[in-house]
Amino acid sequence: MIWGSELAKISAYLGAGICVGIGAVTTGIGSGIIAGEGSFGVVKQPKAQEQIFRTMLIGQAAAQTAGIFALVISMLLIYGIPYDAAGGWFKAAAYIAAGLAMGLGSVGPSLGAGYAGSQACKSIARMPKYGNSIMGNMLIGQALAQTSAIFALVVAFLLMYSVPNQPDNIVTGRIIIKSLAFIGAGLAIGFGTLGPGTGIGFVAGKASDMMGRYPNEKSKIMRTMFLGAAVSESTAIYSLVIAFLLIFAVK
Amino acid sequence: MELTLAQGIIKASALLGAGLCMGMGALGPGLGEGFVAGKACEGIARSPENASLITRTMLVGQAVSESTGIYSLVIALLLIFAVKI
Repeated sequence: MIWGSELAKISAYLGAGICVGIGAVTTGIGSGIIAGEGSFGVVKQPKAQEQIFRTMLIGQAAAQTAGIFALVISMLLIYGIPYDAAGGWFKAAAYIAAGLAMGLGSVGPSLGAGYAGSQACKSIARMPKYGNSIMGNMLIGQALAQTSAIFALVVAFLLMYSVPNQPDNIVTGRIIIKSLAFIGAGLAIGFGTLGPGTGIGFVAGKASDMMGRYPNEKSKIMRTMFLGAAVSESTAIYSLVIAFLLIFAVK
Repeated sequence: MELTLAQGIIKASALLGAGLCMGMGALGPGLGEGFVAGKACEGIARSPENASLITRTMLVGQAVSESTGIYSLVIALLLIFAVKI
């Protein structure tokens, strides 16, 4: 083998950079739009400023979750994995794929959670009386949006810790097949969580908005939100299945 | 079974393609279905007496939107299991 442990280091450091780099972009955007609507809400409804401020902070913390997942994966890629020469191209590909999976995977959920939080702040500024039910709905919606980030986290962990070392007597073709299958798994779950995360966030945002306008229809709005979010989640589950197949079922 | 470099690259590209296919293919339906559900929440809040009608329309719309996700799933499974080298 030409490369020793350098190969694993190169790919792990590259993966760590990609992961937290992409992950930070939309986490920042998501918490920014919450803060924007929160500030605007304080201007419109100064009497409810404490409630709006609290909702803004809690919403931002929830929107940051996916960014924190990306940070954890980057830290682990830098400090928490063995850089054995025996890992070869298998491990190298898996480390980059883990970075891609979590980096791209945090884009959708944090955008979605950001939209949900911003609509909740807007809604509380309009109707401070129903603040508690709006904030509860926002938190449930953000949790639903974050589920797809958790799928990405699971795939990233599997890519980092359950990929076998490259066997010695293996033809070059097999090495390329396995390596690209790992990268494919990372891309599948990374892009695959983008749509569902953003979509569920849109549902949660609209539901929080409407809960402030029509508080008597709370149960109907929530039921529709759950149903719609579950259907929207289905494509993330397809992506998870394809990622698992690409990691474990490719010979 | 020994395989040549070219055969390996064919199979490897098919697997990378499967990942890209399912990943990008899940993006659109997820976003679209979320938009449908968001608007349905809005509609039900505005006219709750039509809740069942709106829910039905939402589910039919989401099913149509879901179809491209299922196309991607089928193509990804074909690329993983049915590609001949």
